[in-house]
Amino acid sequence: MRGEAPGHLAIERVVKRFGSFTALDGVTLSAARGEVLTLLGPSGCGKTTLLRVIAGFLQPDAGAVAVGGRSLNGVPPNARNLGMVFQNYAVFPHLSVAENVAYGLRARRLPAGEIARRVEHALRRVRLSGLADRYPDALSGGQKQRVGLARAMVIEPELLLMDEPLSNLDAKLRVEMRQEIRLMQRELGITTIYVTHDQEEALAISDRIAVMEKGRILQVGSPREIYEQPAHAFVADFIGGCTWFDGVLGGGVLSLAAGPRIPCPGPAQPARLALRWEDLRLATDADPPEHCLPARVAMASYLGHRTRLRLVLEPSGAELHADLPSHDPLPPEGSVARFAFDPARARVFGADGTRLA
Amino acid sequence: MSGTLALPRPGLLARLDPWPWLGTLAFALMLVFVAWPLGELALTSFIGQESGRFGFDNYAEFFASSYFRRALVNSLTVGALGTLIALVIGVPLALAYARYDFPGRGAIEVAILLSMLSPPFVGAYAWILMFGRSGWVTEFARGLGLELPPIYGTLGISLASAFGLYPLVFLVVRGGLARVERSLEEAAASLGRGRIGVTLTVTLPLVLPSLLTAALLVFLGVVSDFGTPAILGEGERFPVLATLAFSLYLSEIGAEPGMAATTCMILLAIALVLVLGVRFLSGRRSVASDAGGGGGLKRLGGAKGSAMTAAVAALVLVANMPTIVVVVSSFLEVRGVVFQPAFTLANYHNALAAMGNALWNSLVLAGVALVLITVLGAGVGYYISRRSGLLAKALDLLIMVPFVVPGTVLGIGYATVFNEPPLLLTGTFTIIAAVYVVRRLPYMTRSCAAVVYQIDRGLEDASLSLGRPPLSGFQRIVLPLMQPGIVAGAAIAWVEVFSELSASIVLYTGPTRTLPIAAYQQAATGDIGMAAAYSTMLVGIAAVGLFVFLLAARGRGERSVGWL
Ligand SMILES: Nc1ncnc2c1ncn2[C@@H]1O[C@H](COP(=O)(O)OP(=O)(O)OP(=O)(O)O)[C@@H](O)[C@H]1O
Ligand SMILES: [Mg+2]
Repeated sequence: MRGEAPGHLAIERVVKRFGSFTALDGVTLSAARGEVLTLLGPSGCGKTTLLRVIAGFLQPDAGAVAVGGRSLNGVPPNARNLGMVFQNYAVFPHLSVAENVAYGLRARRLPAGEIARRVEHALRRVRLSGLADRYPDALSGGQKQRVGLARAMVIEPELLLMDEPLSNLDAKLRVEMRQEIRLMQRELGITTIYVTHDQEEALAISDRIAVMEKGRILQVGSPREIYEQPAHAFVADFIGGCTWFDGVLGGGVLSLAAGPRIPCPGPAQPARLALRWEDLRLATDADPPEHCLPARVAMASYLGHRTRLRLVLEPSGAELHADLPSHDPLPPEGSVARFAFDPARARVFGADGTRLA
Repeated sequence: MSGTLALPRPGLLARLDPWPWLGTLAFALMLVFVAWPLGELALTSFIGQESGRFGFDNYAEFFASSYFRRALVNSLTVGALGTLIALVIGVPLALAYARYDFPGRGAIEVAILLSMLSPPFVGAYAWILMFGRSGWVTEFARGLGLELPPIYGTLGISLASAFGLYPLVFLVVRGGLARVERSLEEAAASLGRGRIGVTLTVTLPLVLPSLLTAALLVFLGVVSDFGTPAILGEGERFPVLATLAFSLYLSEIGAEPGMAATTCMILLAIALVLVLGVRFLSGRRSVASDAGGGGGLKRLGGAKGSAMTAAVAALVLVANMPTIVVVVSSFLEVRGVVFQPAFTLANYHNALAAMGNALWNSLVLAGVALVLITVLGAGVGYYISRRSGLLAKALDLLIMVPFVVPGTVLGIGYATVFNEPPLLLTGTFTIIAAVYVVRRLPYMTRSCAAVVYQIDRGLEDASLSLGRPPLSGFQRIVLPLMQPGIVAGAAIAWVEVFSELSASIVLYTGPTRTLPIAAYQQAATGDIGMAAAYSTMLVGIAAVGLFVFLLAARGRGERSVGWL
């Protein structure tokens, strides 16, 4: 894993409370130089709060934040040299595009010629060169966002902080912009902390993802690890579609209420099994019955290269989904078929949500 | 599904769209009570006072006379200085309130708003009580061997006006600050600006429109005020345009209505230039945030909080000093022209004995005016914010005119046109009620329009599509939502109407004398004890009225003054 060494950004057991409510509950996290680390989690889990603690807009109640080995405790936001890209753009409406981008350079008292050169360069990079003298009220959302990006990058910050920078854009622009951000970030090699609650965006843009819930970090890992090896039931559920099966673990075997039994280590306890929707397929005669689920096809939705079946388990009536390749011969709606899964792809979680297998 | 529920057959009322009618009526009223008097004044100003010729004779005479020129310079000087002082007090207060939470915040805010209650001339009078030739501060300083600068003239008028008007700055600028998106300031901080840098490069430029508006309101307030310069200018010795127009029009020895009209027009021209200037400066680029800005307040506790509270409280205490002084003085014994440190009710006794109908007149006139302002203003406020036709635009403009026209000017205009048929109103209660309504109607229309703009049009469309006639939909849907705007508008209108002096001083006759006029007359030339008593009654009754409105508004979660 990357970033295990003392990271470029090091967050140590940070706690932040609002009154009696704990928004950050001992967050420890580090980011390696040059990587994009994404904070991903449901609304209200503390992503923005963590970002604002890093930026210095909020003082943590406990814990420490350090960048490049330098502790930031007590350092005001304006002395941290961090670039921030805001969800609502926060482009200064009374300044032109060029003046916006020059703002941080002016604060650093660079000579005028140098400022002009860098501003021009930054605007060229975000493809806004022609709009240098425009005012923000004559810009589209995507253009404003690019001004915000150029403004944050031009100061060559230690760290780039982005709080849902794309959430105000339409779907098409969102995809374009995220590729652009990724390209630019690579080119400049700026360590970036990216906040989103859009899992697809997180998977696409990140080197690593930190999944948060209720002020805690549940798992940090590459997009692939997070998706394929979720360490916690919450992570499995939050990223990608999952179907859950209740069962009981004991004697090295997990017995599902729905029938199947698979080998699984661990102390005896109630446990749950998670199956990705794409991990179910039509069973063949070769599949052992303990890895099969008989179900009735309630509805089939064609989604292009895949077809999503809504299934009702026989006889319990529990609902589940299966994504099958559309070119396969599919059972018609209303029919009953057997569906099989590969036990190696099944994830088992204990009663407290931790991964068992 | 089985059939539909039949709507009742639409009757006459159901089809009636009352708004164009109301708009037309209001427009006609504005033509008579705003356009006509001002038009007549403009015309009069071009008819030579001496020559009787049509042309610029009066204007030439105005600028040839060093006395008239002095009045112009004095007006501009006290306007500028008063505005500066009001900004210096109001802006830091607004910043403190828009950004920080500190102990005592709510209570101090009430005190700030209370200092708006006393009419400017009462403040002026209090300044004389404190810093006048035999004021108690002056005497005290004299005892220490200090001679204070004279309060009469530029300094006194500017100070007194500023301390009366700074709450406007506070309200307007705070409103502007509240709309500045907090993330803009954070962006500036993250780009490397310290707190002062952020304020100078981002916050202040963004509230520039609010600052300009506030400065404009204060400047207009100072320049159009009659009572303050009349009291602190000692009559003819320190003339300003407002007092000059008044004395030219009503002088016992040879009134000069032509010159009075000319003076009025010059005053109007100043107001117009300023309004257009501010419009130009703040309208060049829209910097209002679409997201509505906001963000929480930063809590200051401990030593920082106490320091903030102390600073704000001290500022507000100083600003409220005039009112406090007047109220306390009203209970003090008077010997000659000096208050004695002994409590008495004698001042009230004398004041009530000499009052005649003044209090009753004030209550009735202000009450009637308030009802008219509320009904007409709410309707018109709705009309101008929902309709986009030419009539609505013209009406909006015409209603705002009295907002910038000094009361004295309007009063002189009324006295000029309504002293002969077809509308012979001189000396009546009607003429005073009319001038009250016309002068304060803008508060209500603005306040209501601001609220209506925020009401989703779809609500009314929904009501229509559900089969309700327009008027009934208005009543059931819009009116309840407008209520905060109406209450806010009525609250300001009440205070302003009840203490109106500038126009009514021109128009009153013996039987129509009001409480502010009685207070002003005693303050200017009469008994200082009775003046204090009248002023206290004035402030007290205005406060009671305001309190009633605040009670009415409570629980609706709306305490802001919508039109600002
Ligand atoms: N100033 C504050 N005072 C009190 N509670 C707050 C404050 N700021 C945030 N919170 C609370 O802290 C929790 C975390 O908020 P935060 O803004 O960090 O969430 P988030 O993960 O960014 O959510 P979203 O995806 O909706 O932006 C929320 O429950 C929120 O209500
Ligand atoms: Mg957030």
